[in-house]
Amino acid sequence: MRLPRFEYLEPSDLEGVLNLLATQGDDTKILAGGTDLLVRMKKGLLKPKTLISLKALNELSYINEEDGCIKIGARTPIADIIASDLIQKEAFALFEACEKIGAISIQHYRGTIGGNILQDNRCIHYNQSEFHRSGRQPCHKDGGKICYARDEADRCNSTCQSDGATALMALGASITLAKKGTERVVEIANFYTTDGIMPFAMESSELLTEIVISIQGGKSSYKRLAYRSAIDYPIVCAGVFLSASDTKKDEIEDARIVVGAMGRSPLFLVQESFSLKGKNLNDTEVFKKVADSSMNSASTFAVHNVGSTLEYRCVMVSEMVLQALKGAAQAVVAAKG
Amino acid sequence: MSKKNSEFSVVGKRIPKLDAAQKAMGRAEYIQDIKVPGMLYGRILYSKYASAKIIKIDISKAVALPGVHTVLPGEDVPEKMKMGFYKDNPPIKKDKVCSFRDEVAAVAAINPEIAKKALDLIEIEYEEQIGIFDPEKAMEKDAPLVHEHTKSNVLKLPWNIHYGDVDKGEKESAFVVEDRFTTTGVTHCCMGTSGALALFDATENLTVYTNTQIPSLAQKDFLETLKVLGLKNKRVRVIKPIIGGGFGSKLDTYAYEHVAILLAYKCRKPVKIVFDRVEEFKATSTRQPTVTYIKQGCDKNGKLTFRDIRMVLDNGAYTSWGATTPTVMMMPISSLYRVKNVRYDAKCVYTNNTYSQAMRGYGNPQATFAIESNIDMLAEEAGIDPIEFRRINQNVPNETTPQDFKITTCGLAECINEVEKELKSGTAKEKGVGVGMASLIHVGGGARIYKSDGCGAILKMDDYGKVDIFTGGTDMGQGMDNITAQIVAEELGLSAEDINVVHTDTDICPWDVGAHASRSTFVAGNAALGAAKKVKQKIQEFASKFFDVPAKEIQFKDKLVFVPGDQEKSMPIDKLLRKAHFSQNGTMLMADYFYDPDNESFRKDFKCNLSATYTFGVHGVKVKVDEETGKVEVLDYIAAHDVGQAINPLLLEGQVYGGVLMGLGYALTEEVVQKNGENMNANFRDYKLFTAKDAVNIKAPVFETADEAGPFGAKGIGEPGCVPTAPAVANAVYDAVGVRIKDLPITPEKVLAALKEKNG
Amino acid sequence: MEKIQITLNINDKLCEVMVYHNDTLLEVLRDELDLTGSKESCGEGVCGSCTIHMDGKPVRSCLTLAMEAVGTKIRTVEGLANGDELSDLQQSFIDHGAVQCGFCTSGMLMSADALLKNNPKPDEKTVRKALGGNICRCTGYAKIVEAVAHACNPQDDCPDCKTDSKVRE
Ligand SMILES: Cc1cc2nc3c(=O)[nH]c(=O)nc-3n(C[C@H](O)[C@H](O)[C@H](O)COP(=O)(O)OP(=O)(O)OC[C@H]3O[C@@H](n4cnc5c(N)ncnc54)[C@H](O)[C@@H]3O)c2cc1C
Ligand code: SF4
Ligand code: FES
Ligand code: FES
Repeated sequence: MRLPRFEYLEPSDLEGVLNLLATQGDDTKILAGGTDLLVRMKKGLLKPKTLISLKALNELSYINEEDGCIKIGARTPIADIIASDLIQKEAFALFEACEKIGAISIQHYRGTIGGNILQDNRCIHYNQSEFHRSGRQPCHKDGGKICYARDEADRCNSTCQSDGATALMALGASITLAKKGTERVVEIANFYTTDGIMPFAMESSELLTEIVISIQGGKSSYKRLAYRSAIDYPIVCAGVFLSASDTKKDEIEDARIVVGAMGRSPLFLVQESFSLKGKNLNDTEVFKKVADSSMNSASTFAVHNVGSTLEYRCVMVSEMVLQALKGAAQAVVAAKG
Repeated sequence: MSKKNSEFSVVGKRIPKLDAAQKAMGRAEYIQDIKVPGMLYGRILYSKYASAKIIKIDISKAVALPGVHTVLPGEDVPEKMKMGFYKDNPPIKKDKVCSFRDEVAAVAAINPEIAKKALDLIEIEYEEQIGIFDPEKAMEKDAPLVHEHTKSNVLKLPWNIHYGDVDKGEKESAFVVEDRFTTTGVTHCCMGTSGALALFDATENLTVYTNTQIPSLAQKDFLETLKVLGLKNKRVRVIKPIIGGGFGSKLDTYAYEHVAILLAYKCRKPVKIVFDRVEEFKATSTRQPTVTYIKQGCDKNGKLTFRDIRMVLDNGAYTSWGATTPTVMMMPISSLYRVKNVRYDAKCVYTNNTYSQAMRGYGNPQATFAIESNIDMLAEEAGIDPIEFRRINQNVPNETTPQDFKITTCGLAECINEVEKELKSGTAKEKGVGVGMASLIHVGGGARIYKSDGCGAILKMDDYGKVDIFTGGTDMGQGMDNITAQIVAEELGLSAEDINVVHTDTDICPWDVGAHASRSTFVAGNAALGAAKKVKQKIQEFASKFFDVPAKEIQFKDKLVFVPGDQEKSMPIDKLLRKAHFSQNGTMLMADYFYDPDNESFRKDFKCNLSATYTFGVHGVKVKVDEETGKVEVLDYIAAHDVGQAINPLLLEGQVYGGVLMGLGYALTEEVVQKNGENMNANFRDYKLFTAKDAVNIKAPVFETADEAGPFGAKGIGEPGCVPTAPAVANAVYDAVGVRIKDLPITPEKVLAALKEKNG
Repeated sequence: MEKIQITLNINDKLCEVMVYHNDTLLEVLRDELDLTGSKESCGEGVCGSCTIHMDGKPVRSCLTLAMEAVGTKIRTVEGLANGDELSDLQQSFIDHGAVQCGFCTSGMLMSADALLKNNPKPDEKTVRKALGGNICRCTGYAKIVEAVAHACNPQDDCPDCKTDSKVRE
């Protein structure tokens, strides 16, 4: 399969990238590992005039502990994240999520964490060959006015299947977006638009440079469901962060539940998360209730567009959330000793 | 009496695949790798509708694109050019398309990029028509017709049998169970995609490099193509590059082959067409999706009284050899277990789906899924343990089945015992864990589907004791090359490396019907053995004069020709050959042999002895069902087969392991998702093949019943691995959590829904 | 856009080659350099048949631009053997019957080779994980997994581990 024509640029440092981004128009794309971008280009889903490679930017590949935070460079390969003791210790959900991405032998050495967050949403009607799509009216995401996944939909409901983003949102991570001359920090939870055509609230001249996870003394867990154990995107996934109160060992102080692969972005379930405050860490009944409520909340966003059946995916939200809650709770209990 | 394993020197040995080294070094040449000077790249344009009239086609812009050599619309294809079993499928369609896979035009250009661009420039105006996608609905009276000239979508094929008296059998039954089972379309997913390269020489003789499992029949098809092009008395040479997987996908000739020929003829240049993965998914065939209504009964002791099956097969829009799979389905239906009263009726129905074709097992997996699932249900109804139930009804050696199949050797009993041992071992029953089994019968000695089931072999020996054998057989990774070499080496006292197996070129290899029906070991093996025996006899005759002993006293081993017990009378075979060659009236040692097994064509009532011998097997599986997610995890798998004689256990295991995993995919994850005839999962991400991480270890014990008819006692084993896998899994799922899934694949959502229904 | 000349380090040899910016490494290896051992089976990063090493790491050459390979060390299946002397891993694939149609073989070898460089005696689970991104339709994986596990760690009870490789250790 051939790639469409483009010009390849390889700036030697961050400044070079930002300069280029500032001058080039919307037809420019960042090339990190290419495991998402190049696939889409081969299918003719986008035809950028220019690709700016991050190949020379070793400065964006690191995992550090600094000021009570884990800082990860955007171009850090997934493999490095899996191998990191720091991540395994302080951001277990991210470790679990990264381990499941694609397949270890290959995706992980090229695929980056930045690219993972910024991979485009997917939809079985959209991620098809150029010829397949040419045989019908274009849908919203393809520049048209209809949707094949949900009749009458006025916008695109493509699905975010990023494992990394779901885990990071559960960990309360934020990201740094740099632009020539400026920089801004956004919480991942606030990073998304409400339209699957362009799911990220981000300008084309911006570069994702860093991911920051503050270490909050809690534990996290990530669970996902897929048909196979490798080269398979999740059809439902859930990331959970739990921390216990300093005074009462068994009591939940802070909780974050995020459901992935069910909507245009990972879904931070505020109500369900909040409802766990003050609950006992060993109370499975409460977890079950919260999991069921998560299912109801998440179900309203999902459309039938990533395989399986919608009904099944909805039911499985509850199971994944429950498993992740149990996983995180166990880890908290174990850590407290 | 046949020999014991220890008496063989080459047969029965774990000799690595002869071409493994070149493959492991990346030096094997597949169609993807072949380039010839001046070669153009061909590409095919497909329909954008499942059913439509072609109103107008405009190729002018494509023709004008620099780098394009020719554009071929349907109207430039001779009217008489048709493909398939029914000859109902023109390689490029002119007036009407009947499926998304329909070819509507083709181009040849100097590189793939331009070829693709040219396709984009072809303008076609369609008038969409109503399609029909459900075979059962397509049978209804007022259903739209896929082909207007037919009166009904049901193909006029005579697939029905009735032996004994089913109605009487039912009346005499103590227990009767009936149900409906369905299977979906799955596809071969050869890792090497399809492709062909066609070139004409200066005198218009044609050479086609193609991935085919049927070189001789392909040659015949291509000759037809030349004939309709007005090229009479020309030659066709078919060359097979190394094939990146077959599994039945290459048992017919296809549009890409004929189109490559047409393009090459039109531009007088070599033209190669190679599919990309999407095309491989969309423009190759699936296994026949089926709907099966089955009813079986037994008496109060568990003896089967009758089996009554009605089946509807989704033929798709055109008729390839897949429409003949019911003839193979008849085999398990009439002859798996002993049942006197059998009725079977199958209807192949045109729909606007992609047309279906042969795939490993040739119908047997679909039929066995229904039979073996239903047997477990019947056993439960009768209150008999499913293993015991099978034992009560098991096939035995030296018996003729209702369809007149002459079962000579049969190791089904041994296989049942072995699987029982395995399944009953281990700890007490855990929650969500269950075991299941299913048996199989398959043709093990060819199958006379075509007029001849034969294979030719030509053998020559050189002055250095090396052998070249030119065989009609085809290797596509399954190991026909080794089997041939090992058989010849055994017979002539050589080692496998001394044998060069040439199987790639119809100019030098004799005729063969094709690599199907698990027949290569048996038929090509016997052909090679026949030729080797002839040469052996000639050497014996020569050596007899030389050593001055009767010819039959002369033996062959370790590259020596010798008279046992006489140290003086022994000579390296190469030396002897040179003596034969470089003497007055010298001779070279060559022989040919054509082996056509002693099996029969169907008579009117479909009775006959279809195969010279039959392969039996039993699979057992232990699964764990996650009751929260519905996911089925395979814990252990055992596939026991009666293989006659394992010519090469290493390769045999490879066939079984590969077959079983393909069967597990069929059982659990694989499905071509078609939405109104359009393939929606034409990639490896959405079509779920198991990965190494999902795969389980499989035990593959073999029983060697040493069949008289087989070469050194061997039977075929290419397909059985994937035949009873799905019902074994379905039975295990039932055992584990008490839900019976009757529609393949057994996906988590189906299991969960069934659990929900059961638990209320 | 014009083709430009780049220099690639492939199997320890420097090759000058003319490429388009949008050429993938796989296309350049196969079409320009006639290194056809690396295969394209899906072209979109799923199957692993195009796996090569870039600076010792397994990557999919169908999703890597030739331009990106400049300045890196590329190894392909053609560079696994030492002349005609097969590597232990290649020999193990042959001996264990891990090769059937062979289309997945070069990618499998490259993924496995990368694993063995870090972990010469992997257990079965590790091997399965490492090969998770390489699809094979013929073998059911069992023999491939065995071949990788035993390549540098021959087992006495394995009928396919060669005696001479048992000493080779
Ligand atoms: C077979 C296969 C299976 C996969 N399975 C999974 C899976 O299970 N789960 C999963 O989450 N993903 C999966 N992926 C998707 C993808 O491989 C991963 O998400 C990977 O981490 C993407 O990283 P990359 O560096 O290759 O991204 P790229 O393809 O290089 O980039 C992705 C997008 O992000 C943009 N981008 C990248 N970096 C930056 C930056 N620093 N600043 C601004 N923009 C940037 C690019 O322009 C592009 O639009 C799979 C991919 C394949 C091919
Ligand atoms: S959700 Fe609708 S609009 Fe969005 S990609 Fe799918 S079909 Fe297109
Ligand atoms: S061809 Fe590159 S991964 Fe399949
Ligand atoms: S050997 Fe054929 S795909 Fe692996």
